[in-house]
Amino acid sequence: MRKISRRQFLGVSLKAGAATMFAGMFAPTATSVMGLGGIAHAADKKISPFTFAVLTDAHLYDIPDHKFDAILEKGVADVNSLSPAPDFVLYGGDLGQSGKEAELVKGKKILDKLKMPYKIIPGEHDYYLDMGKAWRGLFGDEHWSFDHNGVHIIGMNSILVDDFWTMAELTPLERMGRMEELECHQCGLWGVHEKQLDWLEKDVKKLSPSTPIMIMTHSPLWDYYPRWNFQTSDAPEIRAILRKFDKVMAIHGHVHQVVYNSIGNINSAGLLSTSWPWPYPPVELPYPDIRMNRVDPGDFEDGLGSHHIAIAKEFDGVVNYRAFSDLLPENVKRGVKL
Amino acid sequence: MNNRRFKTLTTAVVAVCTLATMFVVSNVQAKKPFSGAEAEDQVNMLMAAVKRGDDLWHNPKLGTNGLACGNCHPDGSASNPHTWPKYQTNLGKVGTLREMINWCISVPMLGKPLAPDSDDMIAMEAYAMYTHRGVAIAPAKDEQHGAVPVVSGPGYPNADSGNR
Repeated sequence: MRKISRRQFLGVSLKAGAATMFAGMFAPTATSVMGLGGIAHAADKKISPFTFAVLTDAHLYDIPDHKFDAILEKGVADVNSLSPAPDFVLYGGDLGQSGKEAELVKGKKILDKLKMPYKIIPGEHDYYLDMGKAWRGLFGDEHWSFDHNGVHIIGMNSILVDDFWTMAELTPLERMGRMEELECHQCGLWGVHEKQLDWLEKDVKKLSPSTPIMIMTHSPLWDYYPRWNFQTSDAPEIRAILRKFDKVMAIHGHVHQVVYNSIGNINSAGLLSTSWPWPYPPVELPYPDIRMNRVDPGDFEDGLGSHHIAIAKEFDGVVNYRAFSDLLPENVKRGVKL
Repeated sequence: MNNRRFKTLTTAVVAVCTLATMFVVSNVQAKKPFSGAEAEDQVNMLMAAVKRGDDLWHNPKLGTNGLACGNCHPDGSASNPHTWPKYQTNLGKVGTLREMINWCISVPMLGKPLAPDSDDMIAMEAYAMYTHRGVAIAPAKDEQHGAVPVVSGPGYPNADSGNR
């Protein structure tokens, strides 16, 4: 018998109206957890405040001295100049544009100039020429986790799609070409898929609900504009697995813009690219005040930037968007609480 | 014949004569409405231009650095076709949508501008306008506009099931 998938199980539970069972199994509330010995867990919560930096979406081309090379260099130099120096750097995917090894090699060369260690996840632009082979050869695992100063930090590959190329008899180059387009007509919705969900479940199983969790994916863990894959199809399953925690911070690339959302215990922030900005899609923003200004197409650095994220004692986070040009309204300039 | 019946008859005769006159006059001064087949042909020709524009919009060969219009303007968004002509700082004057398209091809994409009256340029405009169908024509405001929301597919009627 085929193993029942998590998606099917979620669907069945909801359809059967078994909301209580569902909540009990996947979504213990903070209070219910406290009742089960949460006080001891709370005492475990020890964060030494720290900062880290984030860069994402460089979209490097295999063209010598391309303008995006210089912007990634600028991002790296900016991160290296930060005070206090970030403990580490996260890179949110789409280092290359067309999945070519040469793009990724060029990108790695630039990222290796970072003075601090960095962790990286793939984006769709890094992946669909050789299904991530070159990327894995250079950077290793597509999903990972590590602990830093009391925070559990997770990275996952959220750009997996079902096979649309075999039936259509596409070459790897054609497959990549379609994925390169934001509004790809036949690529389907991205997700992390079953194996990574199983991994995530195991990864957080032994962690107490008071453990501060930070998760990075390429695409947002909420339905923003599925047409442009401003979504992750199995985000509901991810949110269910992470629901036991008091607080989860999520950051994501792909949207090339300032955007924010809060769902249940998860606060999410979208990140600036170092290639080009994207306009806001034709839907209402959940937090319309947290956005960037109109971008000047004549200023090639406008709409782009790096990020310095500060984590304080009680797992309070602030994203400092470091726009390379005059992009941010005052409220965003002051930092966005995560 | 009573008075009331006579009045009704007169009104009917006058109405018929007026209609007949209108018909004759309209027959002389205007064409008949397009037949269903003619109208369909015209729509098909427009949609072929939209498709051609869509292909060009997503074609990095218009430039020389790998970029296509679609990199920054997915589904035609933030091209604001319904706001032109307007003053545009990059043009330094009141310009047209096609001038802006050529500015984008020349400056961020490092390509050669299209001939303003070429079929390619008209197709680019057709695509930009079609992705904003139904959006009110309005003078430019200091904001970026998304295009018409699209759920899936190319965003316009297209028998071609391929991506490009």
